[in-house]
Amino acid sequence: MSKPRVAIFDFACCEGCQLQIVNMEEELLDLLTHIEPVEWREAMSESSERYDIAIIEGSITRQQDEERLKLIRSRAKVLIALGACATLGGVNKLANGFDDLNEVKKCVYGDAARMPHLLTGQVKAVSEVVPVDYSVHGCPINAEEFGYVIRCLLRGTTPVIPNFPVCVDCKMRESTCRFEYGEICLGPITRAGCGAPCPAAGMWCFGCRGYVDEPNINGARDVMERYRKTVDDLKSRMALFNTGQEQPHA
Amino acid sequence: MPIVKYITTDQLLVWVNALIAAQTVYGVQAKEQRFAYDALADAADLRLDFDVTILPPKKFFQPLVETIMKFHVDGHYESVTSEEPFIIFGVHPYDVVAIAQMDEVFRANYADTHYLSRRERATIVACDIQNASPSMFAACMGTATVEDGFDILLTKIGDGYVVDVRTAKGEALLVALGDAPDADAGTLARREQFWDDARRFLNKYLLKCKPTDLPALLEDQYEHAIWEHNAGLCYSCGSCNMVCPTCYCFDVQDEVDWTLEKGTRVRKWDSCMLRDFATVAGGHNFRRRREERYRHRFYRKGQYLWQRMGQIACVGCGRCTTACTAKIANPVELYNTLMEG
Ligand code: SF4
Ligand code: SF4
Ligand code: SF4
Ligand code: SF4
Ligand code: SF4
Repeated sequence: MSKPRVAIFDFACCEGCQLQIVNMEEELLDLLTHIEPVEWREAMSESSERYDIAIIEGSITRQQDEERLKLIRSRAKVLIALGACATLGGVNKLANGFDDLNEVKKCVYGDAARMPHLLTGQVKAVSEVVPVDYSVHGCPINAEEFGYVIRCLLRGTTPVIPNFPVCVDCKMRESTCRFEYGEICLGPITRAGCGAPCPAAGMWCFGCRGYVDEPNINGARDVMERYRKTVDDLKSRMALFNTGQEQPHA
Repeated sequence: MPIVKYITTDQLLVWVNALIAAQTVYGVQAKEQRFAYDALADAADLRLDFDVTILPPKKFFQPLVETIMKFHVDGHYESVTSEEPFIIFGVHPYDVVAIAQMDEVFRANYADTHYLSRRERATIVACDIQNASPSMFAACMGTATVEDGFDILLTKIGDGYVVDVRTAKGEALLVALGDAPDADAGTLARREQFWDDARRFLNKYLLKCKPTDLPALLEDQYEHAIWEHNAGLCYSCGSCNMVCPTCYCFDVQDEVDWTLEKGTRVRKWDSCMLRDFATVAGGHNFRRRREERYRHRFYRKGQYLWQRMGQIACVGCGRCTTACTAKIANPVELYNTLMEG
């Protein structure tokens, strides 16, 4: 059986997720015995129009990117969204929260805001433009989970991606809950699978893996009162990664 | 003749260090502002004054993530069990009761060799409660003290500990202790008093009925408004299950390595509060609604296990109450609300 041809494309992002793949070390060699990379800007100079699996990193911010993504989709049998920028729109989506995008651009880029490569519009996750077959969540992704998804793909099985809150991982790690420190943590509504490194390192979960299915956001709003916090406190935390996902009804 | 010694705290440290030198010892240690069981490297890290650990000691018998089988895709497989002996130092009475209950669960019907192999190789050094945890109600549940289910029981009396040895496994640990006097009558009388107090006062919440009344109480409360009300706040985050010493559900998954031919079957803790817990083949979820899952936990604790084994599946440790960020997991508050009708 010939190896599946894999292409990795980056859109608007920091390329930190690709870096996680590059850093897989021995596992990267294992990976390469099973796949043939045909385009991967961060690791090789060749490019190709023929591939089976397309891995998309980054969020979609410009019209020409949407066209490029649609072309990639039409060529690939399987399309994987890699990392929060691709799966959610990521931190880039913060821009969507402003009424006047031109103001944001001027603030970020100054006079360069009119350059053609900065003609950005509303930020979209990959799935808002084309159908996505698999998502590897996180900012950055967890290389172990990426390897697992690829192995499932190679074996023809469906990867089991957690659909329960980060609190499960956090309890397994026996971290003291951030709520006990009087902080708001997004763990109860965020998809697990990361191993809850943030609470273990003394930080609240900022939701980089996106929501679980059916997050109880209305409940979260009511719970805020029990901690003498406000719905705005909660919303300000959710904005970082979850702009455009289901919003709390204030 | 039962062996009941009295040792100083200094002797305790020397003893524990001698045990650590000989075999694996897990003990209660400080973790951030809380406590957790972990491998003990030095007796000085042992905190027998702990209030409660984040996870219960069941994690040593039913590990969070456990490889139970190795397989090859051609159909060959080999079961994996752990054979390493170990000691758990500092198990509170309510957890001793919970372990006994789990032993019964894992022995019933189909004997779970993975659990039992670990359990049989464990020596349990219990320790009476020196500090109450913020949400406990062990006295209400009759679990503030224990009669059996451990190999050794330590009780802090004065500046030292009464060491009460109940089994051959416990006696084996005494070799490392060396010479120590028997506890005298006065010390034992003080221990009786300590137990009496524990059975009366180790409650931060008061259950307004006897634990054995719970099955009947739950009988006609299936439609009570509290289920829906509290479920509105529930995140289905599973924290209340994860920390509970009498929850034992697990999920089994197969994973292949990079050979794509060899793999492992692992079982991980699972939780009935999670949205997809009751999803069966074909995608049907028989506890689809948050309210059904929220209610299920209290019925399982207060009634279902009673019907199966004649035991209440709650030992009053209060871990769920502390762990629930929505503050809706407290069994005492819930059952008392039902009692009000
Ligand atoms: S998800 Fe995070 S790490 Fe990955 S590319 Fe986007 S910003 Fe970078
Ligand atoms: S710290 Fe966050 S993720 Fe961890 S248990 Fe608390 S709320 Fe859940
Ligand atoms: S704990 Fe939260 S923010 Fe941290 S990696 Fe996990 S999902 Fe992302
Ligand atoms: S239900 Fe709560 S209080 Fe009862 S044993 Fe479980 S964690 Fe402890
Ligand atoms: S009762 Fe509390 S701890 Fe349990 S699942 Fe609901 S929110 Fe989580």
